[in-house]
Amino acid sequence: MTTNPTPIASRPWLQPLLDVLAILAWGVLLLKYWLTGKMNVLLHPGYIWLAYSAGFFLVGLGLYKLGQFLWRMRRSNRVRITGAATHFSLFSPVWSSGLLLVVALFGLQFTPQPFASDVALNRGVTDTLTMTRSQPQSFRGNKRPEDRSIVEWVRLLNVYPEPDAYKGQNVNVDGFAIHLPTLPDNYFMIARFVITCCAADVYPVGIPVKLKGNRSAHPADNWFRVQGKMITETIDNRRQLVIEASQIQEIPKPKNPYDY
Amino acid sequence: MNQLNNALTLFFSLMVEAMPFLLLGVLFSSALLLFVDERRLIQLVPKNPLLAAFVGSLIGFLFPVCECGNVPVARRLLVQGAPGAMAIGFLLAAPTVNPIVFWATWTAFRDQPELVFLRVGCSLLIATIIGWVFSRQADLRPLMQPAIARSMPVYLDKPTQGKGKSQGKSQDTPTLLQSGTFLLGQKDQPFRLDGNPAATAALTMNPALGKPFPDRLRLMVDNVILELRELGGILILGSAVAAIVQIAVPREVVLGLGQGQVSSIVAMMVLACVVSICSTVDSFFALSFASTFTTGSLLAFLVFGPMIDLKNIALLWSVFKTRAIVYLFLLAGQMTFFVALLVNLYIS
Repeated sequence: MTTNPTPIASRPWLQPLLDVLAILAWGVLLLKYWLTGKMNVLLHPGYIWLAYSAGFFLVGLGLYKLGQFLWRMRRSNRVRITGAATHFSLFSPVWSSGLLLVVALFGLQFTPQPFASDVALNRGVTDTLTMTRSQPQSFRGNKRPEDRSIVEWVRLLNVYPEPDAYKGQNVNVDGFAIHLPTLPDNYFMIARFVITCCAADVYPVGIPVKLKGNRSAHPADNWFRVQGKMITETIDNRRQLVIEASQIQEIPKPKNPYDY
Repeated sequence: MNQLNNALTLFFSLMVEAMPFLLLGVLFSSALLLFVDERRLIQLVPKNPLLAAFVGSLIGFLFPVCECGNVPVARRLLVQGAPGAMAIGFLLAAPTVNPIVFWATWTAFRDQPELVFLRVGCSLLIATIIGWVFSRQADLRPLMQPAIARSMPVYLDKPTQGKGKSQGKSQDTPTLLQSGTFLLGQKDQPFRLDGNPAATAALTMNPALGKPFPDRLRLMVDNVILELRELGGILILGSAVAAIVQIAVPREVVLGLGQGQVSSIVAMMVLACVVSICSTVDSFFALSFASTFTTGSLLAFLVFGPMIDLKNIALLWSVFKTRAIVYLFLLAGQMTFFVALLVNLYIS
């Protein structure tokens, strides 16, 4: 009885070559995201060093295996697959390496984009931090009101949620606009995404802005600097803090779209 | 189009965050696989089954192996005469109770440190209890695959109580009249290896330990690549599932499932079983559900997944018979559900 040789048996160079290419591709991908500044869209700054360190390591490992592979090819014209400990594998080794390689090559073509208002609406933009979300890391209540960011305002509200406590305080915040369907047409939400670890956990926080006119003049996802005063209003049967805007200025999207 | 872009951004974010931890995990497990002799550990195990199970559960701190690496190690421990309680404790706890997984979980959930400590504590507790339960079966061989059972040591001149002892038949026959393979120097008594000596040697020997250092280093690099390939493939699948669920499934559906005290736990346990993501990086997967699912359900995912999942069941079949895997699955599942429910009701 004869059996057809498996692809690996007939092409012993295929598996090691795929392994080398997949490892190199992932190393290059991690370094590319780091060097092009796109890592800011994907990770909290505290963990970027981990990602590029892994990138350097993978490139080094890939180059070492590539050298070994070429040396063996030249020396004996055949590749000996060394038997490391065997594992159970969900895919065949060729498929695993192929999948890793294809995904890394796709990643090299793909430019990560910061999330926008559609994700904020899907995740539920609020002026509160829920139980499953970031607890205040560092909190300074003695900051001048006009120096507080949106996230700092929201953290302040979490610690002391009485909106009247902030009535009349000056506001000067940067963020992107979200047109919440639950808000009247003369309101929009000025919001920022907060990142704790990676894009999987970013969540939006925001404060409603009361306009003199219609919100269509401030398109969703555009970035604005909003200046004004804090007032309290009842919206959606809930008394909450609202920014009464005196000046709204469009600003370019920041290089790092997330806050911490 | 925008949704696809969001899903891809999320997917690559999970991959980029998880890759360094996966790399660390496979580096450690490969180094330990090739440079550490488990037999020295076995000599230090306490006699008491409960303590043995507890010590076995803690050994993950010395052997930071994930679900792929722990089964071969547990198999070697059993064949080299480790008490069943210790081996089962190690098998269930090692993928979670180890420094790399602790760091990864801390990275993902540093805003909920209670979840990090609950994960380690509950994994230790459940693994120790299951190890202890299994120690009541004095002879584990009926629960093992025949090849393993034949290779497990049969301690002679021991009463019928205790670990690793033989069945009564061989006790009645004087040592000199018994045939078989005997090893000396283990706990001051000979132990016999029933079955094929070559197969036994293959099971008990850590194949790398006899090789010179440069060869071991080369083997280590090969093992790193092998594990990266296998686990990286599964990580891609897991990250894709997380990204699709977060972007494509309507928020109402996810919230409806994730906010129920019981439904959220069941959903996350099923997900843990199906996704089979490596314990080194499963915290990042769980993180993508942190804003919609209860804390108890996240804990259930983080505790149950590394113990029993589809990938792991296939591995466990290389050691245990189906009956034993069902016991492990039911015990781990019930206890995980119970502690997760307690967390939902009384802590979070």
